[in-house]
Amino acid sequence: MIRSALAFRDILEDRRNECSNFLWVSRVLSPYAPCKEYSKIGPKQHKMLVLKSRKIQDLIDEISFKSELPPKDVERRVKIILDEIGFNKHTSTIRWLGLFLTKVCCRVCRGIYFNTDGIDQLRRHMDGGIPVIYVPSHRSYADFILMSYLLFTLNIEIPAIAAGMDFHGMKGMGTVLRNTGAFFMRRSYNDDNLYWDTFRQYVHQLVTKNSAGIEFFIEGTRSRSCKSLPPKFGLLTMILRAFLTGEVPDILFVPINISYDRVMEERLFAYELLGVPKPKESTSGFFKSLSMVNEKYGSIYIDVGSPISVKDFFGSRLDKTKNHLIPQHLQILGPYEKKEISSFAEHIVNAQQHLTVLSAFNLIATVLNNNLLMRKNILRLDELVTDVMWIRNILDKFGALSNLKYPRENIMDALDVHKNLVQMDDESNITLVQDSVILADGTKFKAHALSDATMTLAVPFVMLQIYVNPVLYYTINQSILVTIIKNYETHLVSKDRLYDDYVFLRSLMSNEFVLFEYNNKKDFWKSLESCVDLEAISKLDETTYGIGKNEKIQDLFANLLMPFIQTYYLVCIVINNVNIDSCPEKRILRDSQERIERIANSKPNQFVHPYTLNLDSIGHCLSILVKMNILYRERVKGEMMYNTKPNVMLVNMIRNMEKYVPLKEDLQLTSFKNKL
Amino acid sequence: MGKKTGDANKSCGRVDVQSVIPKRRQDLLKWNGWGYNDSKFVIKDGIVHFTGNRYPIGELALPYFTQWAKDVLGLDLQSVRDSKPPPTSSSYPPPNVSDQVLNGIANLEVSYSVDVVDRVVRAHGHTLHDIHTLREGTFERIPDVVVWPQSHDDVAKIVRFADDNNLVVIPFGGGTAVSGAVECPRNEPRTIISLDTSQMNSILWVDGENLVACCESGIIGQDLERELGKLGYMTGHEPDSFEFSSLGGWVATRASGMKKNVYGNIEDLLVHVKMVTTKGVLEKSCQVPRMSCGPDFNHVILGSEGSLGVVTEVVLKIRPLPQCKKYGSVVFPDFESGVKCMREIARERCQPASVRLMDNEQFKFGQSLKAVPGMLGFLVDEFKKLLLTKLKRFDLNKMCVMTLLFEGGKKEVEDHEKRIYAIAKKYGGIPAGETNGLRGYMLTFVIAYIRDLAADFSVVAESFETSVPWDRALALCRKVKHRIAIECNRRNIKHHFVCCRVTQTYDAGCVIYFYFAYNYVNHSDPVQVYEEIEDVARDEILAVGGSISHHHGVGKLRKKWYPATVSQVGVGLFRNIKKELDPNNVFATGNLVEAKL
Repeated sequence: MIRSALAFRDILEDRRNECSNFLWVSRVLSPYAPCKEYSKIGPKQHKMLVLKSRKIQDLIDEISFKSELPPKDVERRVKIILDEIGFNKHTSTIRWLGLFLTKVCCRVCRGIYFNTDGIDQLRRHMDGGIPVIYVPSHRSYADFILMSYLLFTLNIEIPAIAAGMDFHGMKGMGTVLRNTGAFFMRRSYNDDNLYWDTFRQYVHQLVTKNSAGIEFFIEGTRSRSCKSLPPKFGLLTMILRAFLTGEVPDILFVPINISYDRVMEERLFAYELLGVPKPKESTSGFFKSLSMVNEKYGSIYIDVGSPISVKDFFGSRLDKTKNHLIPQHLQILGPYEKKEISSFAEHIVNAQQHLTVLSAFNLIATVLNNNLLMRKNILRLDELVTDVMWIRNILDKFGALSNLKYPRENIMDALDVHKNLVQMDDESNITLVQDSVILADGTKFKAHALSDATMTLAVPFVMLQIYVNPVLYYTINQSILVTIIKNYETHLVSKDRLYDDYVFLRSLMSNEFVLFEYNNKKDFWKSLESCVDLEAISKLDETTYGIGKNEKIQDLFANLLMPFIQTYYLVCIVINNVNIDSCPEKRILRDSQERIERIANSKPNQFVHPYTLNLDSIGHCLSILVKMNILYRERVKGEMMYNTKPNVMLVNMIRNMEKYVPLKEDLQLTSFKNKL
Repeated sequence: MGKKTGDANKSCGRVDVQSVIPKRRQDLLKWNGWGYNDSKFVIKDGIVHFTGNRYPIGELALPYFTQWAKDVLGLDLQSVRDSKPPPTSSSYPPPNVSDQVLNGIANLEVSYSVDVVDRVVRAHGHTLHDIHTLREGTFERIPDVVVWPQSHDDVAKIVRFADDNNLVVIPFGGGTAVSGAVECPRNEPRTIISLDTSQMNSILWVDGENLVACCESGIIGQDLERELGKLGYMTGHEPDSFEFSSLGGWVATRASGMKKNVYGNIEDLLVHVKMVTTKGVLEKSCQVPRMSCGPDFNHVILGSEGSLGVVTEVVLKIRPLPQCKKYGSVVFPDFESGVKCMREIARERCQPASVRLMDNEQFKFGQSLKAVPGMLGFLVDEFKKLLLTKLKRFDLNKMCVMTLLFEGGKKEVEDHEKRIYAIAKKYGGIPAGETNGLRGYMLTFVIAYIRDLAADFSVVAESFETSVPWDRALALCRKVKHRIAIECNRRNIKHHFVCCRVTQTYDAGCVIYFYFAYNYVNHSDPVQVYEEIEDVARDEILAVGGSISHHHGVGKLRKKWYPATVSQVGVGLFRNIKKELDPNNVFATGNLVEAKL
């Protein structure tokens, strides 16, 4: 599907023009179910069918036999679990919510856009008798409300939506969500078999019986950094089961990206990234957030991608015949299938990434951020417009879809929407808004207790970075390449060497930016070519590459990557210094932040990007070290413990990274040397 | 069983049967299509009619069916695609047989022919490929000589002669195979003899005490049941092809009859069998109900598909004719409820003689074969009444129907009906009357004729079947239909029709029978495309856990899935059986496995 900003339509347009929103929400509803072949089954009957399923009945017998409880008691427990999980459907709640949302959105949003061709394509697939799973990106609580609102508007039945238990806890709100189709999944790692078997069966039933389909967030949680998160496999595996065991002919996954001009939770996210824990979801918190009705949130883009057929994806790679001698309900998935599931998950996230719509503010933030990293604090509007258009042209070449039809106007609009973060004075100078942060005494930090001064400096930068991050999806490979070449003293490098270094940095960043190994080569060639085109890199001959003429673009690309490498480097140093068998994750987070804060304060001449403090990247760094077998971790009593004893691989890793970071630290290798 | 008709324990000696089908098959049966010459769908004044009065829909206009065919299959009644005329001696090369061999055959004192039509009508079964070739092309290889043995001894003579003279023998029974089993291997350089068993069709004796009858293998279903019926007996074996297929063919393909629930499949009915091989006759020494005596060689003969020898005489179980025979039907809101009900009936082991479940597509198709127009369109009267009263909540595009046939004593049948309807009720099923049941079974015989009509209008159609465990049955139906729809779409096929029915139930699973047709106007190679699609459908079936075939057999058509089904060890075992029984590959049918001898 060729993407074009022209294919987007505003769903609020009709709402603004009609004389009564009330009449609209109370229209006769006969929503279209994607899988017509399934008979309509009510939510109650759904739970009943799960309870009566062979699997659950067997489980009840087994538990009651083992625990010597009467089966009735066990069955009651299952019923309670099902009541906790199960979605509901109250048309009146949906209508009222629809009205409420119409009023709010018309007020705070410029528009909610969806791509008509994506929806057309979805509708074309709907008659196939195949279950449909909506998989939106997750950047805000607003995601699933907007999804439901979109489907309500388009007369498509609202699916069963997987939601976290934290919502379940919200008084009143939990019920509203449930009534609009949410079903609840416990997050924490518990080994309550009865719960998980029931939940699994419930999901299975949804796939094989629910005509409206399922919606779930493959990233598992809202991404605080506005970048994609590595996919989670739990729920996906449960959904795919019905296909892998041969019960349904196919399953269609519809990747969706919801891009916001301004994320409702931006400030909260910035705080959370810095370690001020998010407040527990509560209804009063929700109503507090209603104060947002006085703010502006610009436009929202819902880009609905081409449905991905699992059958086509797996093709003939899965040999299902080996399962034939086992009853269908007893089949287990083997390691091979699990591997395939993870590559499928990656495929979906990749598809979501492709569907990003960049807003004017993403570009503004990139320009501003770059400017600040170049140690320029003030930017004039004219410069901003020029640079935004410059970046836009680059991103266009990389396949980005950005919404900038009327550049100056769109930029002014964006500045207005984000006036809490970016300000323009009378002389058209544009600067970050630095509201001083004074945290209440006793504020609990997740990791290191940052000083108010640090917080004051960091919050706006982190907020800004949240808007830069989506751009990084398009430039990460180029950033890596330019960073590498810049750090060769001769500024010359052979193709093979460049590729090796590229693979090293790319693997290191693969968690952070959700990059997939199978794309390594393809992305390398594509981005190298584009760098040569843009003169960021020059091609000397078939095997040698050197630095290009365009310094401005080199700086831009390198600056984009810099905070991340810096964080990773410092985290490795910290781990190397901790040197104990079993170090709690919290300590690494704390030490890392503490160290970064100290460096920033001790080197006034050097600008340390405050985003290096963010816990999200520190977490990604730990995960990737574990994935690369450099670090070993295990869960002990609910907490992650790391073995940080001296480690040659870690030291090598630090050495490898060193050349790319401006702030080098001494490696304390004494203890290590002794051991050698 | 209730009171028997006729004398109890009646026995008799040899009955020479006057078969419905003459020695010159083509005088009664279509040379290029299914069934009797006088029975076919024709177009009169733009409306489809069925000719002849052999079937209940004979001599009737079928306006709804006409419309159905136009809507569903995009039939264009203006553009008729005529069949070629019957073959003449110039259509095929002269028989590949030496005078010496012909003299040898003449000396065996069996009837034989080298006439081209005789040879062509025995060169094929009834696969789509066969019929399409008859109508539009020529076979690459046909038999060179047709012989008509009249007894077991004749067969033994012919087989010995063939073995001595390096000839090929392909046994031919009723010619209704749908696996390519009777087709001649394309590259066979030797003389091919088609051994037509139709003239050895006597009932050799009937034993009322043990309830068995010994029959020659060439007897066809309707002759067998008619003659046994005169004596107050029946075998109860009724495959859909039972008007034309032969006893020997049933044994060689492991046939299954509609009423197997009461009477059993062919392997249950068979008590003793003789097979002539090149090494002599394979048979057991006694005619006992069961025996523990090593692996049962009856099961080498059953399903051998003509590759090991010729089945000549079979001792079959017989039953007294039932006192009462009653049809019935139940409608369900959807296919799934229907399947669940079938499963429950099988679990309770209370299947009537036959119980079948048609899916919605087949149900609608069946309704369209109604003759007289009425108020509610194509629905037959009984359904109309139901629809107006009880079925208001049924979705016409989802509902499906279960057809039933009860046999037994009067009281027995009554009780049985009650039991079935009670189970059906649990799954939302509502009894829908006898007529609908009867129609369902009538349809079974008539549906085979539709393909010839379709062929006149550029539609190819074929059926295929499978067996599957209960827990995978629904998924199998869905997946096959889905896959076919995708494949048709991919090939830009605008009109296709696929429907299925559950035709048999067992303790551990059931049988599913698919019909698939598509309109190939603007497409070349319709048969090849059809076969490609059926192939992927079969892959899909195997992937869900269904089988290569329940009763059609493997033949040449499904050979490629045979090794995966029986394992390489199995293939080796079969090869060695073949090597032992037929070292010179006289029975070079090429069925099941390629004979590498």
